[in-house]
Amino acid sequence: MALNLMKNSIKMNTFSKLQVRSSSGSSEPQFRVLNLKVTKSKPAPRRQPKKFDTAPPRAHQMPTDQNWGNVWPGPRSFHPATVPLPVRQGYGEKQAPPSKYANAELMKIPNFLHLTPPVIKRQCDALRKFCTPWPKELSTDENCEKHFPLETTTSSYCYSSPSIRNSLARIVTLRIKLSHLPLDQHAKDKFRRLVGDRYDENTDYVTIVADRCPTSKQNFDYCMYLLTAVFHESWNVEPWESKKTLEDMEYYDWTKNQSCKSLESMFEVPFDKIEHGKEFSEAVSNLMNNGENLQTLKTYGDTVRKLLGLSKEI
Amino acid sequence: MFKKPRYIFRYNKNPKSLITSFQCLTTAALPTERIDSFRCVINNPLEQNEGHIGQFYRVPEDVVSKLFSQGGLPKSFRIQTKTFAETCLMIRKPSIDIINCIKNLDFSKPVPRFVLYGQKGVGKSLSLAHIVHYGYEAGFLLVHIPWLGEWMRRPKDSSPSETKEGYTNINLDIASWLVHFKNQNSLLLEKANLKTTQTYKWTKREETVANSNLMDLVDHGINRIKFASDCVLALLNEIKQLSKSGKCKTLVAIDGFNAFFYPETRIRTEKKEIVHPHNVSVTEGFLSLTRFDWKNAVAVLIVDELAIAEKDQTSYFPRYLLGKDGFEHLDPFIPVLVNGYSNKEFLSCMNYYRERRWVQPLPGLDDELSVISSSNPYKLMQLCAPL
Amino acid sequence: MASLKRIFFGKHSFINQRNSIYSLIQQNGMSQYPSYYIQPVYRKEAQEELEKSGEIMKITHVPTRAALNDQTSSVYQDELVNLFINYVMRDGLKTLARGLVEKSFENIKRIQLEKYHKAKTEAEKQAIEINPKNIFHQAVNNCKPLLYLTPIKRGGVKYQVPVPIPDKRSQFLSMKWLIEAAREKERTVHFPEKLAYELIDAASNTGKVVKRKLDLHKQCEANRAYAHYRWS
Repeated sequence: MALNLMKNSIKMNTFSKLQVRSSSGSSEPQFRVLNLKVTKSKPAPRRQPKKFDTAPPRAHQMPTDQNWGNVWPGPRSFHPATVPLPVRQGYGEKQAPPSKYANAELMKIPNFLHLTPPVIKRQCDALRKFCTPWPKELSTDENCEKHFPLETTTSSYCYSSPSIRNSLARIVTLRIKLSHLPLDQHAKDKFRRLVGDRYDENTDYVTIVADRCPTSKQNFDYCMYLLTAVFHESWNVEPWESKKTLEDMEYYDWTKNQSCKSLESMFEVPFDKIEHGKEFSEAVSNLMNNGENLQTLKTYGDTVRKLLGLSKEI
Repeated sequence: MFKKPRYIFRYNKNPKSLITSFQCLTTAALPTERIDSFRCVINNPLEQNEGHIGQFYRVPEDVVSKLFSQGGLPKSFRIQTKTFAETCLMIRKPSIDIINCIKNLDFSKPVPRFVLYGQKGVGKSLSLAHIVHYGYEAGFLLVHIPWLGEWMRRPKDSSPSETKEGYTNINLDIASWLVHFKNQNSLLLEKANLKTTQTYKWTKREETVANSNLMDLVDHGINRIKFASDCVLALLNEIKQLSKSGKCKTLVAIDGFNAFFYPETRIRTEKKEIVHPHNVSVTEGFLSLTRFDWKNAVAVLIVDELAIAEKDQTSYFPRYLLGKDGFEHLDPFIPVLVNGYSNKEFLSCMNYYRERRWVQPLPGLDDELSVISSSNPYKLMQLCAPL
Repeated sequence: MASLKRIFFGKHSFINQRNSIYSLIQQNGMSQYPSYYIQPVYRKEAQEELEKSGEIMKITHVPTRAALNDQTSSVYQDELVNLFINYVMRDGLKTLARGLVEKSFENIKRIQLEKYHKAKTEAEKQAIEINPKNIFHQAVNNCKPLLYLTPIKRGGVKYQVPVPIPDKRSQFLSMKWLIEAAREKERTVHFPEKLAYELIDAASNTGKVVKRKLDLHKQCEANRAYAHYRWS
């Protein structure tokens, strides 16, 4: 019934159009549109993404007195549903930092949620039965240094990536105080020249780093070899070393210099018998070794005055 | 046209200007010492002591013409003395210090060498002038080189030495130094009756026989400029011998001493090669006077940046300026620092300038000048010039 | 030391209604400062005055231009001398110009002091002016002309018409003449030396520059028949 009615109305519609045309005198025929592309009746509806039923985040149901070590037993990248903390990370203009859900920033950074103090304590307790007590003789740092002067440093971390090999683990750093090595004046000087900037004057440490071999064992052996070689080489005295002149000296040695000779010829006695002679030698060495400035020059002048028996500076 | 002023004396509201006008009126009448604390009563350096530091003393004109007519006072200072119509030196710590040492010196001991050092324009040469004046008054034989830089950096002439192979003479400079020496020591040489110990043969006809007066040697050098350098060497040798034997006391004063050890002089040989100072014939003589191996003498030397080439003027300390050789030559010596003006010295200098009408009184001027000049005497002098 | 605190006063710029179209264009020409930047007050006395009158509060936070190179709070700074230095300067060599003027001041002092020490009586000594700045001011004052000649065209003929001179112009002429007189010298004589003599002469109302001024006055006097051309 309703369909019929509709059909009727369409018919009526066309009829009325025709009538309008005839009434206008049919001088203007209607412009027919060329429809090449057959339009579809209706665009296909977009497929709705399928929604899965997911459980609410686990963190909501966690009791406050739970054992966290069991929830997060090992190293793992951040998971928002498991960590019951309102952490935020990142930057948003005119808004708070993004929350933990769907936050890639939080997943990128390493976390130490598996290393909470109670967990560490528990693990230490578990390991304790395998340990021996620390020797009493090494109770202080001085003792440690005295009995074990040689110090090597390696890193033994593994990677959690597909390959657990840490490329930095091969590097071995060997450190020893120069004063622990039995060297005389000459050998010490030569040793320092051989090791170059590996020696630190302020701390008296010689540091040798080896990283050329693939394993730390090889590198350690190489370090030890180097130390041994340098040590023995520094005891060697080459024949040309006896030809070293004052110009080749790396520091000012007063007794070998003209200053000492002229002082002796001035007083006509050996320098150690001259009154204030020692003071003078120190002042000159200080002036030469530390460079001249107002202070060193003043001490030099004062000692010379004492030496020559002149009146003091006013 | 103009009214005559009705009052000769007008009441002055500003008491300060009243005082200054009073001072100006009275300077001629009263002895200056009573008014000015910056002037020293004692003009004789023999009697000056630490208490006079910072004060000016007047050097008598005849002494100035005797001691410094051929140099010894820096040129800028000489112009000042001409303008001020008097030669006044400030008594300063380094010179008093050295004079004190000389006064208490045991002359039988080896010669002490004092080395004055300090930045440019700080008053080293004037301190030396003070000491030279003291030496003159105290009856020292003066061996004074006013400015060694002139010999090494600006020689008037140079010629190869005839007596010493490979050495160079700078005879014109040396001859004028002999005049300087003669001027300074004429009185003493007449009085002390110093004789030569050796016979010096110059040519076939000319010779200075032993036991002749020391002045003959000097005169020979002045008259026969060709032999000036050799004469100086002989003279210095004689002075050393005489001092050793105790016949005279000698004061060696050399300004710009480090020029003896700076390799790049501007003296050239005939082949246009640079002459090392040690190859200048007179160097040896003066260096032997600055050694310690004699007695009855004092050496006061100045090491100055200005005596060496500009490119090397990086430090004013003696070890740098003397170099290794120079240091070893002098060691052990007494370095004496010359500093810029202290507050007291600065004030006294400004008061002196005002008294000489060199600077017009202006409130706040002293503070500003002391900061701008950083109390450097030479800079202060320059800054005060247009005021 | 003079306090380095700079206090500033405002420069009021009035823009006419008529010129309002120009106000759209930047008024300060090539200056690196925007037009609302005010001139610095660098003299200590001026600063103290501002502080006393309370004006300082108005301009405390107004942006200010940096002081120029020759604007100092030094106690011996003198505006007129600064101007003179600028007139002496050539090719922007200010250091040289300043050095020359300072040297000539020094020479003035030396010359005057020599006279001072030569003078026998106290009265004579007191009469001698030593302060070079006073001498300079006196010299500039003495050389200022009162009238000058300006060419005016009447009936196809140019007449040199005497005209009263603005103060600024006369000051400029006086300084210019002093400098010209000092430059007119033999090659062996130095500029500062000559300038010193010129300044001393001018200060005592004698010398070349004062003569030049008097010559100009004479010329003006001779041409006074043309004076009416100034306004007719």
